[in-house]
Amino acid sequence: MVTSVTNLSRSGLYDWMAQRVSAVVLAAYFIFLIGYLVANPGIGYEQWHGLFSHNAMRIFSLLALVALGAHAWVGMWTIATDYLTPMALGKPATAVRFLFQAVCGVAMFAYFVWGVQILWGI
Amino acid sequence: MLYALSKSLGSEEGYAEVKACLTSPLAKFVAWGLLSALLYHLVAGVRHLIMDMGIGETLEGGRRGSKIVIAISVVLIVLAGVWIW
Repeated sequence: MVTSVTNLSRSGLYDWMAQRVSAVVLAAYFIFLIGYLVANPGIGYEQWHGLFSHNAMRIFSLLALVALGAHAWVGMWTIATDYLTPMALGKPATAVRFLFQAVCGVAMFAYFVWGVQILWGI
Repeated sequence: MLYALSKSLGSEEGYAEVKACLTSPLAKFVAWGLLSALLYHLVAGVRHLIMDMGIGETLEGGRRGSKIVIAISVVLIVLAGVWIW
């Protein structure tokens, strides 16, 4: 299978695990963040800034950002290889799929760099 | 969303600007939409993890699980709407 060359780790089992580990990280991050916002209604700039200045929060945010990249890559790769196939698109399928994956990859990389800039810029 | 995060953390004025922007009905609706997608994805993802553990893997279990996911998601999405407005 030529298509397996574009997956995250060349191993379906590792991809499977990466998706689940990153899912748990993302779930923990968003549940924490939503919980924090629900518990602190009318939060001001000082507190908001203080939260993201905390070292633990920076590490947590960066971890979530890495997890988001991996999670999104595995997910979009799965969608691309399931639906952007020669059966659905005919001959140009490989080109279309590669282009789609390239756009996803660039987007995730851009989000990652941008996120690091924000987290370390404050 | 990253832009909003960046602006809200960048300065006190930026924070006030983002806050003011998020009070408009359209922005609230968009935020609700994004939050709904996240919540549904989260609940359905937890179901995947539970099924990975071997729970609810039968046809009957799968049907029941998908109904539970939709029920929990609807409750959470309504709660999110209450929270935003």
